[in-house]
Amino acid sequence: MARARSLPPRLSRRTFIQRLTFFGGGVVLLGGAACKRSKEPEAAKKPTEPTGATASGQPLRTFSAFEYAVVAAATERLLPRDEDPGAQDADVALYIDRILETQGLEAMHRDFLQGLAALERRAQSMFKKSFAQAEPAQQDELLAIFKDSPAGSGEAHFFELLMTLSLEGFLGDPSYGGNKGRVGWRLMGFDTVGTIAMAPPEGYDGPKCLRECGAHK
Amino acid sequence: MSHAQVDVCIIGSGAGGAPLALELGRAGFKVVVLEKGRHYQAKDFVHDEILNSRRNFFMPLPWEEPHLVRHGAKARYERSNVAWTANCVGGGTVHMSGFFYRLKPVDFRLRSTLGAVPGTTVADWPISYEELAPFYDKAEAEMGVSGQAVPHPFAEPRSGPYPLPPLDVHPVANEIDKACSALGWHATPTARGILSKPYKGRASCAYCALCGSYGCETGAKSGTNASLIPAALATGNVELRPGSMARSVEVDRQGRAKSVVYLDADGVAQEQPAKIIIVSATAVESARLLLNSTSSRFPQGLANGSGLVGKNLLFSSFGGSRAIFRTSKQKDARPWLTDPAPFVNRSVQDFYLMPDARHGFRKGGTLGFMWSHPNPIFAAVGLAGSGKTGVFGKELKDRMRAYRDSRILEFEVYAEFLPTPGTSVTVEPGVKDKYGIPVAAITLDRHPADYAATRFLVERGEEVLLRLDPDHVERVGTQGETTILQHGTCRFGDDAATSVLDKHCRAHEVPNLYVVDGSFMPSGGSVPSTLTIAANSFRVADHLVRTLKG
Repeated sequence: MARARSLPPRLSRRTFIQRLTFFGGGVVLLGGAACKRSKEPEAAKKPTEPTGATASGQPLRTFSAFEYAVVAAATERLLPRDEDPGAQDADVALYIDRILETQGLEAMHRDFLQGLAALERRAQSMFKKSFAQAEPAQQDELLAIFKDSPAGSGEAHFFELLMTLSLEGFLGDPSYGGNKGRVGWRLMGFDTVGTIAMAPPEGYDGPKCLRECGAHK
Repeated sequence: MSHAQVDVCIIGSGAGGAPLALELGRAGFKVVVLEKGRHYQAKDFVHDEILNSRRNFFMPLPWEEPHLVRHGAKARYERSNVAWTANCVGGGTVHMSGFFYRLKPVDFRLRSTLGAVPGTTVADWPISYEELAPFYDKAEAEMGVSGQAVPHPFAEPRSGPYPLPPLDVHPVANEIDKACSALGWHATPTARGILSKPYKGRASCAYCALCGSYGCETGAKSGTNASLIPAALATGNVELRPGSMARSVEVDRQGRAKSVVYLDADGVAQEQPAKIIIVSATAVESARLLLNSTSSRFPQGLANGSGLVGKNLLFSSFGGSRAIFRTSKQKDARPWLTDPAPFVNRSVQDFYLMPDARHGFRKGGTLGFMWSHPNPIFAAVGLAGSGKTGVFGKELKDRMRAYRDSRILEFEVYAEFLPTPGTSVTVEPGVKDKYGIPVAAITLDRHPADYAATRFLVERGEEVLLRLDPDHVERVGTQGETTILQHGTCRFGDDAATSVLDKHCRAHEVPNLYVVDGSFMPSGGSVPSTLTIAANSFRVADHLVRTLKG
C-alpha cells in the first residue's frame, strides 16, 4: 500500500490545517503516522480495573501511575504554570488518560504509549533518571529533541500527539476531564470577546456524545 | 435482502440529493434516500470543539475511511480525510459556513469568453446562467437565504431581492466598506444560508459565532437537514435511510441501472431497486461509487465507457491573509473592536475577472471577509506550530496571551481551480475502507495560472486589510485548495465523447442514472458552490418531474 512516511513540503501539517479554514476551525485529526495500523486491529479493550491512580487518588484508565507522572511532567513543560495556570492546573494529563480510551483511537493509544516509553528511555540514558524526576531544563531539552526530529519519525510524531492532546486537554470542554475550572478558555479569551453563548450547556457530557455519535451508526 | 422497487433511489442527502427528494416527493413519486451517516437532531449540535471539529462526528477517521491524496502522479499517496464533507443527513450543508453565492454568467462560458488555456481542459457549460437563474431563485426561497443585492461590476442578474434581509453585521464591515471605496472597489454584503428572520417555521439566527464546523442547534442555518429534508419527509412519499453506505449501483442486461446495493447500519448488505437512480454523494464519492460499480457491461465502472468518470476533478483555489488588531492598544481609538457580533459578511468581487491577461488567464475570483474562527484548540494548534519552528512552554503561553488580546480579521480567496488532465479521482483496489470498499484516490496537479490568480487576489485583499491599519498582517497562503468545495469528475455536456452526463445530469451511457451534486460542473466558478449545487438539483428535479409525468 502506498503511504508516504512524511508529508511532502506542500502538504505540510500547517498548510493542511490552513487549507481547511473554509469551514473554519475544522482540523484534520492527527494525520501522518497516526494512520499506522497493525494488520490485525486490536480489539478495543474495555478496562474494568483502573490502570493506576493519580497522587490525589483519581483512578486512571490508560496510564500506570508511573506513566501518568511522566505525562503530567511533560505536559507541564508544554504549558507551564506562570502568571497563568498551566497544564497541571487544568488536569491536562487526566484528559489524555481519558481520551486515549476512546473507541476508534486504538492506534493513537498504542502510538502514544510507545512514544512515552521512548521519552522515558531517552531520559534514563541522558540524565540517568526518570523524565518525571529530571530538572525542568533537562525536560525541555529532551522535548525539544523530540519536537525537532525529522517529520515522520516516531519522536516527531509523539511530540505532535503530546502537543495536540495537551491543547485539547487545556482548551476542550471540561466534561472530558481537562480544562479544569475553564482555565484554558480564560487564558485564550474564549470566555470573553466575541464568544457569547459559546460553551456547551451545564451538565453536558462530551465523552458520552463522542462514544455515541462517533460510532457513525 | 432486497426491498420493493421504488420510483427513485437517491444516494446522499446534501445539497445535491435533498432538492430532488423534496421535488420528487411533492410530485407524488416514491423516493428512498440512502444516507451514509447518521440523522442528527438539533439537540445533537453542541458547542464542543473536540466532538465537532476534531473527531468523527462529521468526518470519518482517516484510518477507517481514508482518501488517498497526492500532489502529482509521481508522489506517493497519503492517507487523509481531505475532501470529505460531513457524513450525516444534510451532508456538507450541516457544517458549512453557508456562504451562498451564485455563479456569474461568465462562469457558464469560460472557454468561449476567455479562450482555451494550454494544459487545462476548460470547457463551456451546456446551459447558460439564464437557464439556471430561476432555480437559484427557487433554492434561495426553499432553503432560506439572507442577503442584499447591490450593484457592482460583476453582479449577476437577479429577478428580485433575497428571501430574507441581510444578517446583522459587525461594525468592522463599515470599515471594510470605506477601505474598498477608497480603493475604487466594492465591498458587497455576503449572502448567507442563515435565517435573519423566522422563516417557514424555522427560528432565526442566535448569533452564536459558531457556524462553520458546527451543526446549528437552532435550525437557523439553512442546511438541507433543517430545510429541505424535513419538507421532503413531510410529503409522505420520501423515506430516509440513514446509516446506509452505498456499495454499488447494479445494472440489468440492457445496461440500465437496476438497484443500489448498500450496507445498512449493522453492516448487512441490502438491495434497493428503483426505476431511476440518482447519485449525490459529492464529486469525489460519487465518482468512487461509479468506478466501483463494475459489471461485464461496464468493466471500467458504471457510465464510464468514455473513461471520463473521475477526470476533471475540481476543488476551489484557496488563499488568504489575516489582520491582527491588539485590543488593549487599539480599543480606545476603535471601540468597535470589542463588539462581539460574529458576522462580517463582506465580499469583494471586483476581480472576478482580472483586469488583463498578465497571468495567462483572466479568471480571478472572490474575497470573503470574516472574523477568524473562534475554536480555541484550532487556534492554539496553529500558535504552537510544528517541527523546528514550533514552540512550547513560555513562548507558547505568551502567544496564547497575545491571542487573547487580539481580534483577527481574515479574508479567504475563492479562485478558479482550472481543470487539468492530471487532477482526478480513481479508486485504489488495494486500499479498502472499514466497509471493505476500495477507497477514492485523489491526484492533484494544479495549473500555475491558479496560483498566479490566487496570489493576485490575496495581494488585493491585503491592500484592504492594510487600510484598516492593524498591528500586523500575516499571510496564510496562496497555494491551497478548499477540498470541501468539490466539482467535476462527471462533467456534463452535449458531447458524449467529452462528458459523462448530458445537460440534465443524466449519464450519456445509462438512461436512468443521474449524478446530481458538484460532479456535473465543468468549471468550479470562483465562489463556494453549495447554492449552485442545490439550484442545479432543483433544475434537474424540474426536468425529471416533467419527464416522468410524460
